[in-house]
Amino acid sequence: MPAGSLQLLAQGAIVSLLLAASAIVGGTLLAIVLAVMAFSRLAAVRAGYRVYVYVVRGTPLLVLALLLFYALPALDLRTGPYIAGTLVLIIYTAALFAEVFRGGVLAIPRPQWESARSLGLPPLAMFRKVVAPLVTRYTLPPYVNVCVMTVKASSVLSIISVWELTLAAREIIERTFAVFTVLGLAAAFYFVMCFGIDRLGRRLERHLALRGFAGERA
Amino acid sequence: MIEIRGLQKAFGAVGVLRGIDLDIADGEVVALIGRSGCGKTTLLRCINFLETYEAGEIRLDGQPLWYRTGADGVRRRMGDAEARRMRQQMGIVFQQYNLFPHMTVLDNVVLGPRFSQGVSALEAEALGRRLLARVGLEGKMSAYPAQLSGGQQQRVAIARALAMRPKVLLLDEITSALDPELVGEVEDVIRSLLSDRIMLVLVTHAVGFAREIAHRIAYIADGAIAELGKPAEVLDRPKDPGLKEFLRRVRS
Amino acid sequence: MGFARWAAIYGPTYATGLAWTAATALAAAGGAIAWGCVLLLIRLSAGRWGALGVDGYVQLFRNTPVLLPIYLIYFAFPMIGLPWPAVVCGALALILQNGAYISEILRGSVNAIDRVQFDAARSLGLAPWNTFRKIVLPQVLVYSIPALGNQTVLLLKDTSLLSAISITELTMQAKLLTEQTGAAYEAFIVVALLYLLLVSGTEVVFRASHRAVRWR
Repeated sequence: MPAGSLQLLAQGAIVSLLLAASAIVGGTLLAIVLAVMAFSRLAAVRAGYRVYVYVVRGTPLLVLALLLFYALPALDLRTGPYIAGTLVLIIYTAALFAEVFRGGVLAIPRPQWESARSLGLPPLAMFRKVVAPLVTRYTLPPYVNVCVMTVKASSVLSIISVWELTLAAREIIERTFAVFTVLGLAAAFYFVMCFGIDRLGRRLERHLALRGFAGERA
Repeated sequence: MIEIRGLQKAFGAVGVLRGIDLDIADGEVVALIGRSGCGKTTLLRCINFLETYEAGEIRLDGQPLWYRTGADGVRRRMGDAEARRMRQQMGIVFQQYNLFPHMTVLDNVVLGPRFSQGVSALEAEALGRRLLARVGLEGKMSAYPAQLSGGQQQRVAIARALAMRPKVLLLDEITSALDPELVGEVEDVIRSLLSDRIMLVLVTHAVGFAREIAHRIAYIADGAIAELGKPAEVLDRPKDPGLKEFLRRVRS
Repeated sequence: MGFARWAAIYGPTYATGLAWTAATALAAAGGAIAWGCVLLLIRLSAGRWGALGVDGYVQLFRNTPVLLPIYLIYFAFPMIGLPWPAVVCGALALILQNGAYISEILRGSVNAIDRVQFDAARSLGLAPWNTFRKIVLPQVLVYSIPALGNQTVLLLKDTSLLSAISITELTMQAKLLTEQTGAAYEAFIVVALLYLLLVSGTEVVFRASHRAVRWR
């Protein structure tokens, strides 16, 4: 394997990480909006949520990516693969995060809701002081899970010519045929990133648990 | 017959059985009574080696079970295959969740004979039907355990244990988890076994039932047999103060 | 153009893709469940090293994207003297990846079996292999049906990645059609709908199987 390859892979890994990070941030924001929709009093809004989740989770990420990749230029939006890729990743992870949030809210025992409501707080304070902390503690493990999935999902974007770790690896293989070494290194990079996120998540969980929350870890 | 000598068992640092000596003659029924945690269930489980034990000997018809002391004086566990063969001479019925939920009643009963004893499918099925008829559940052959009441499930469990043609039947509080109205049907089945002259060892809280069917009752306290004798002696003229207190509590 | 004409022109292409997707998914799902059972058996019976080995295997496949094994098998097998067809390479990669997840699913279900049943099996003198085959495995598989359904859906979606190694499944057909006709997104929308159909169909099958189990 030629000398510069390791560096290329490392750069690719950084790009993958950045893609995942942007998707996680954007996806979380969009997911909060979606989760609010999920609990709306209006049946139509709730239905909109369900349709969104059904479509995004039922279609392979690659198909969504290709759809956007080919459709955006057709609508005169020449944005290039990175924007298209990040956008599709945001759309995808938002669905996953929204389901995590929704599940987390549903998992909160009713007595906690009722004592919160009986305090009579205004909506914003209620959200900031009660809902957000409670939801965070019940959703942290699956949230971290989705973050790891996002890092892995970024590899799919290689097929729509987004240059990241997987595409870097494939290019090197097609030039040098050093399949085992290159893919082994790529796997190592992904492993470190994913395992690392998982460990950080556990550390965070324990930190929160120390603050008096007797949470259960499935 | 069964001979138990000097049986000792500890869970970690806690001694549970501190030297049990007990003989059970052919066809004899022995009931084990005592407070929770006294070791009676552990003793039962040691007999068919569902628990290991640190010291002591158990013999069935003169043959030592579960451990062997080699020529070098070292005590060793028997191999798994040998232990499995020995276990086939004993049947055990547990307090609950006996039956395999994913198999029909008949399949539960024939499983042991077919796969441990190599009995042919035809023979095993015939045997199964006979035993189920004996416990009064022939009509439920194709039912699944979830469709039966607790009492019915226990009767099937007894039939399953008997299908192995054991020399001894071990019963671990088999009516304790049942609704009161279902206890009778299970006790009836046990009564019907007395004519088979099969050795029965039962751990039970039902002191009245023990008085009726047991030849001898053993009161176990702190991991040892504190009193042993015929039901009338043990239950009406107890000598051990712990036993007196125990009976007082049970009767009130 | 009318639907009939559209179907006549493009129908066969989509149908081919659909057939490849469904067949590959079916084969890979079956293989993955079987492989997951093998991993479970190893974990349960091979002592500490067996369990550690399976753990390592699972962690490896949980923390790497599925495209890597796909590329690895596709590019490497011809080099080590196994010039297998692309679809076999792809299916094998899917089996290895999903088998890891499935073995974890099955392992979780083992805890749902009451301990007393193991005592009962031992007291009946059942050999470990028979205990696994007749007592553990049937119950574990049934308890896992919902989670296995989820995993199968994920596997079904992963078949779209096989388009990267030129297998003519649905996604590949959509790409081909897009390039041939110049219609930017119609093909992908049709294909998305077809995937939704497959996914919903799979979910229906698993829910029906779950209900059909009579002994729960």
